[in-house]
Amino acid sequence: MVDAARHPNIKLLTYSEIKRVEGFIGNFKVLVEQKPRYVMANRCNGCGLCAPACPIEIPNEFEEGIAPRKAIYVPHSQAVPLVYSIDIDNCIKCYKCVDACGKLDAIDFSQQPQQTWLDVGSIVVATGFDSFDPSPIEEYGYGRYDNVITTLELERLNNSAGPTAGRITRPSDSKMPNSVAFVQCVGSRDERFNLYCSGFCCMYTIKNAVQWKQTYPDADISIFYMDIRTPAKGYEEFYRRAREMGIRFIQGRPSLITEDPETRNLFIQAEDIGLGQVIELEAELVILSTAAVPRADTEQVSTILNISRSPGGFFMEYHPKLRPVDSPTDGVFLAGAAQGPKDIPASVAQGSSAAARAARILNAETWEIEPIVAHVWEDRCIAAQGKKCGICATKCPYSAIIAEPGKAAQVTPAKCHGCGGCVAECPHNAITQMHFTDAQIFAQLHALLAKEPEKKIQVFMCHWCSYGGADTAGTSHFEYPASSRGIRVMCSARMDQDFVYEAFRLGAGMVLVSGCHPQDCHYISGQRVAAERFDRLAKRLADMGISPQRFRVEWISAAEGAEYARVIREMDETLKSFDPQALKEENERVRPELERRLRRLVEIPRVAEALETVVCV
Amino acid sequence: MQRLNQCDSTFKDEVMAEPGGENLIRCYSCGTCMATCLIRRQDPDYNPRRILRMAMLGLREQVLGSHLIWRCSACDECYEHCPQGIRISDLFKAFRTIALRQGYSPPGPTARVNERTCVACGLCVEVCPYDAVELVQKRVLGHEKTVAQVNTALCMSCGVCAASCRSASIDLLDYSDETLLQHLQQQLQAIEVAV
Repeated sequence: MVDAARHPNIKLLTYSEIKRVEGFIGNFKVLVEQKPRYVMANRCNGCGLCAPACPIEIPNEFEEGIAPRKAIYVPHSQAVPLVYSIDIDNCIKCYKCVDACGKLDAIDFSQQPQQTWLDVGSIVVATGFDSFDPSPIEEYGYGRYDNVITTLELERLNNSAGPTAGRITRPSDSKMPNSVAFVQCVGSRDERFNLYCSGFCCMYTIKNAVQWKQTYPDADISIFYMDIRTPAKGYEEFYRRAREMGIRFIQGRPSLITEDPETRNLFIQAEDIGLGQVIELEAELVILSTAAVPRADTEQVSTILNISRSPGGFFMEYHPKLRPVDSPTDGVFLAGAAQGPKDIPASVAQGSSAAARAARILNAETWEIEPIVAHVWEDRCIAAQGKKCGICATKCPYSAIIAEPGKAAQVTPAKCHGCGGCVAECPHNAITQMHFTDAQIFAQLHALLAKEPEKKIQVFMCHWCSYGGADTAGTSHFEYPASSRGIRVMCSARMDQDFVYEAFRLGAGMVLVSGCHPQDCHYISGQRVAAERFDRLAKRLADMGISPQRFRVEWISAAEGAEYARVIREMDETLKSFDPQALKEENERVRPELERRLRRLVEIPRVAEALETVVCV
Repeated sequence: MQRLNQCDSTFKDEVMAEPGGENLIRCYSCGTCMATCLIRRQDPDYNPRRILRMAMLGLREQVLGSHLIWRCSACDECYEHCPQGIRISDLFKAFRTIALRQGYSPPGPTARVNERTCVACGLCVEVCPYDAVELVQKRVLGHEKTVAQVNTALCMSCGVCAASCRSASIDLLDYSDETLLQHLQQQLQAIEVAV
């Protein structure tokens, strides 16, 4: 931290808050509010004479509340920069600190919050995590029994710079405990609180236990666990070492912790799974390995930076396997436990990676983006005519569209990832996607369904998954009938219901709409938008009189070549089971309704023009 | 030795298809239920975690034939502490329903209705904490009649229905009013003699 503060290219803004972020990759504008310290940073030399003079004592957040701090304080003695701050909410303005500061005259109660706009090229989010508060788990008695503490509290007790100077004592009587029990998975892997595994608690518990045993070989140490997870390099060996040292590992989740009011010792009740019997253990100190949870202000940060959150509440990465450091917003990167619970080596690796990826942008003169971005025809956007709409902006997973009343929707090309969801969702066909325009797709449809359309299966595929699936089927020689005709778009979100109407209007026998599985979507929410749309469409088509078997929606991944072949085989069999004459009659019956629905689209001159130039084969 | 591939792997699906059995596979055998359980203090053989494990592995006969699936008193003490939100009382209800369907019978007494005297007041339906009693249309002695009916899979033999019935039309098999009163009188006589 000291090195970072001294580096000529690093400007450290501590005690500051990001208020707003505007712009896009390479061109962000960030509004930073520097909170008043009420101590002048250029005068304070960190001598610390002010703190002893302060009469106020409040729980020290850095020491997990087990030691006091003053109203004028530094978070801890190694804090960078070593400048004192006044906690104005708790300050009684007795000005004793001013007297103590004396000639330095560093205290200034007139300081105000200062806001500054910064121009930045990339942003790294490394906001860390919070520790789960175990008091809602009543059976463990945290907060009720003094001698039930959390691991972070233990870390402070164990720290030579901590409140006990590294002597581990138990809170009730300040005596050194001889028997101690650790309880794993407190608040994690628990339906009531957090479903995920925090990942690093097994290792830090073993670390604490080993450290303890090394210092006090006679100590009686037990660890209650459900599963010990030691997946990284050297971890299993460490676990083995802990067992060899005589630390007792008990598989079984404690169901109840009770206290003896006399001795203040604790009784832990659990089923020993190996034994198949309920056991009870008396310990002088119980340490709860609490889950890592998202920071309390994660929601705020995610709104400011427009980055989404995963189900557990941590910030979501662009892609869980291939882009684990990038956020969904280009130019914003994630590092450490803000993205998900991780231990120190993993946090260091991700931090270094995020720094390298952020620097890539800073070193580039220009930044290339895919040319498939969305484009608004301003004359057709009804918002420009003062009407309320903004559907495109709500469907954009990247906030690349700004829809202000009275103005046509505006796409920021640098933010657009080219899924085409807005294009398909626009009820007025006022948006198009470069290289995937309605006209281009209609032209493909006309060409593919020019001959014997009733014997064809028209397939719409997304670039990342189902097109890959079809490709795999081909390269792996999975046989399927030759009746299918594919059109590729970037995401199932781009598949306009008009495409399906047009395919049926042209007489297609079957229509298959396919895309990624929901969890695999490459455009955050594209698949969800599409799935909702086709749910509605399937009902509408059935109401119009199209046999329900003729329209199918399937989510097929790039690896599922066999699945793609199976779906096409199945659909081909269904198609063959139809009477061709009946199929044609059905098509004729619904044609007027389809034409009525499509009229709006064909009215757009740009589509019609393109269609006229189509050469049918 | 238990040969796992000879177990009935469809059993867990059958349990999960039964109302109350949905959450079976969530269990990761942490043992919280066993350590909280009140019944296991009375019956050392009783281990809810083990029964769930047996069901997951597909030991059909061992689960359905066991008297232990009838022991859960549905106090739901374990449900409050279960980190996976599994309601074991519901799961056991599912086991019992399947057991009854497949011809197993409850090992102890359950409530029974004297349909001839039942007046279908519905008091038993209201008081039953396990929703084990319902009113049904039935042919009794040649007449269409509404009477109470006990679902033996749900009945926990607590006897609250028998105690509240105003026409003495519902009782427990081995604990009918007559038997209990006889016991009481014997006890009282014994005390009188002693005095």
